[in-house]
Amino acid sequence: MNNKKIALYPGCSLETSSSHYMKSLERVFQILGTEYMPMKDWNCCGATSVKSIDQDMNLMLNLRNLALAEEQGIKELVVPCASCYHRLVSTQWELNQDPQKLKQLNRETGFRYRGGVKVRNILDFLVNLVGLEQIAARVVKPLEGLLVACYYGCLNTRVPKSEVFDVMEYPMSMDRIVEALGAEVVDWSYKTECCGASLFLTMDSISEKLVGRILRDASLREVDCITVSCPMCQTNLDTKQPKIREHHHIEKPLPSPFITQLMGLAFGCSPEAVGLDKNFETLGPLV
Amino acid sequence: METTLLETETTTFGNTALCFQCAKCSSGCPISEEMDVLPHQVIHLASLGLTKRVLSTDTIWICANCYACAVKCPNDIDITGIMNSLKQKAIERGMEPSRPEIYKFHQVFAQDVYRRGKAHELWIMGEYNMRLRKPFKNVMLAPKMFLKNKLKIRPPKQVRGFKGWLKKLLSKKSDTS
Repeated sequence: MNNKKIALYPGCSLETSSSHYMKSLERVFQILGTEYMPMKDWNCCGATSVKSIDQDMNLMLNLRNLALAEEQGIKELVVPCASCYHRLVSTQWELNQDPQKLKQLNRETGFRYRGGVKVRNILDFLVNLVGLEQIAARVVKPLEGLLVACYYGCLNTRVPKSEVFDVMEYPMSMDRIVEALGAEVVDWSYKTECCGASLFLTMDSISEKLVGRILRDASLREVDCITVSCPMCQTNLDTKQPKIREHHHIEKPLPSPFITQLMGLAFGCSPEAVGLDKNFETLGPLV
Repeated sequence: METTLLETETTTFGNTALCFQCAKCSSGCPISEEMDVLPHQVIHLASLGLTKRVLSTDTIWICANCYACAVKCPNDIDITGIMNSLKQKAIERGMEPSRPEIYKFHQVFAQDVYRRGKAHELWIMGEYNMRLRKPFKNVMLAPKMFLKNKLKIRPPKQVRGFKGWLKKLLSKKSDTS
């Protein structure tokens, strides 16, 4: 696969609550010279909810996506959302482990999925297919003086072992991108700690505690922002900050731009062009 | 003692009999302090076949599916997968979920996806509150998110071919069961 023409699985949140992720991704692709096509007729991956109550349905929803991608001649599918990525890649792994199950589900769903299609995480795509040199070459406004904590969350790297594209518990791919943009990264302890995901809506006290710990560690290291590549993480880190910061005695706001928003800024885009006006905590005078 | 619980747990999610209670899962779990039974204890209960006991824990519902436990297990037991499988079993056996507010969220989310193939975030938040009979839960988030145009009033378009596919699938399923 080259990095010039790709198929994309956007996922539900990039069309709504995280449209600023999509906007910045589009700009970044444009500047990198990557042409993208969303795959056709994709459905929701089911996130954490479907697999919590109906595991076969979770497999079937994702089998439908994989089978359609195969039918559409897609060899590699780039996935920006960590949760969608996790569902697609885990389903694929599970079905490849269990040919009986694959046969049964193909029969039940009326699809003929053969196990193909490389599901590729956006970070993997940027670092390993586009390449850090290419990224650095597009930088016109280096993010000098910006100290960044890279937050990967749980689902970017905690996939079946054979599928991991980075170090599972201490990944560095996003760190390398941030460095290529001219900013500085910190070593910190919460790179892959959970933000609470949908506990954000169901048991907010737990999710606020988890987010608070992440923000506190980052703030103690005096970073300017925490960059992310997962829509759910971005929502959780960003949306209830004033309340959480007060609880955890964190003075300074901690913006949480998507990695693609930082890339866009370094590539010379305006904050609006990469959707930064949609973040609650804005980077403001930092960039 | 009932020992049928483990059929799936010994195949898809690794073999729980291999658990030697090292508790790496529990020490790595970011929310173990919120749980009534720790993750390694859940595996132990499941492995002993203490079905009712394990299916009525808060733990299986509170688990946020972050996989911290699963990647730390020295014996490759997918503890997170087992937590999900146990949730489903609790429901299939008609047990009242020990954390109904979490079960309801998953139900509302799934049913919304089945409507058109994509999730409509605003609808999910609204229907969830109605089902909980707590109309004002998280209500402060809505105006904030509206202001940033993050919640769309209109649902996403129907995914082409999805509804028919699902209908056929479900009718086949009910035929066989």
